[in-house]
Amino acid sequence: MSQPEAIVELSIPSRPEYVGVARLAILGVASRMRFSYDEVEDIRLAVGEACTSVLDRVEGQAEAPPIEIRCLIDPGKLTVEVTDRVSADARAAPDASGGGGPDDVQLGGVLIRILMDEVTADDNGGAGTHTIRMVKYVAR
Amino acid sequence: MNLRVETTTPRENVAVVALTGEVDVYTSPRLKQEIVDLLNQGLTRIVVDTTKVEYLDSTGLGVLIGGLKRARERDGDLRLICDSPRILRIFEITGLTKIFDIHRSEAEALEALK
Repeated sequence: MSQPEAIVELSIPSRPEYVGVARLAILGVASRMRFSYDEVEDIRLAVGEACTSVLDRVEGQAEAPPIEIRCLIDPGKLTVEVTDRVSADARAAPDASGGGGPDDVQLGGVLIRILMDEVTADDNGGAGTHTIRMVKYVAR
Repeated sequence: MNLRVETTTPRENVAVVALTGEVDVYTSPRLKQEIVDLLNQGLTRIVVDTTKVEYLDSTGLGVLIGGLKRARERDGDLRLICDSPRILRIFEITGLTKIFDIHRSEAEALEALK
């Protein structure tokens, strides 16, 4: 796999008020590339959903680890990796109260898969990390 | 990067909740609270105006779906005003245009609630 042209990395606290910061950053990254307005908006929403899916799992945890967002910039595509270190126990027990809940999580997943060209999710048990990797290709 | 929620009651038993800004995981609890408060006050016919919404995510969609469910349980309804192609597309790709009645203007939504 070739090296990306540039890498932009961001770490945000696992708190709802910081998801907007991640969206602003990704808006800046995607706007620098040859994406249409709609494609930039798609990427922004998908990254917001990926961060929100982490928050759904850490809800109620006082000291949740930060969310890492890594943007790999290539001339023909943008890859965004959203990684968290939420414990497997927290992941196995989604919270069903309040505004969040299983339905929102499912809708978020649906949105990510529709908005991005490729989506994979990796659980790295050894490192204790979970990564959603999303790719959007620049139209030729 | 915020959400403003303004509610008016243009007719008895009908509330129009106008949203300005972003509806996401941070701001959607405010929208949820507004809808719950209206329902508790007996205002069961609710119109949510998304004309000035710049961003809507799955959390916001979840609040609207929950509001629709609660309103219908009380023999009410929750309708949407949406004229932004961007926001409309989110309802379309999630299949929610089949669940919500979506109107182009407040006048059209109020007419439908008569």
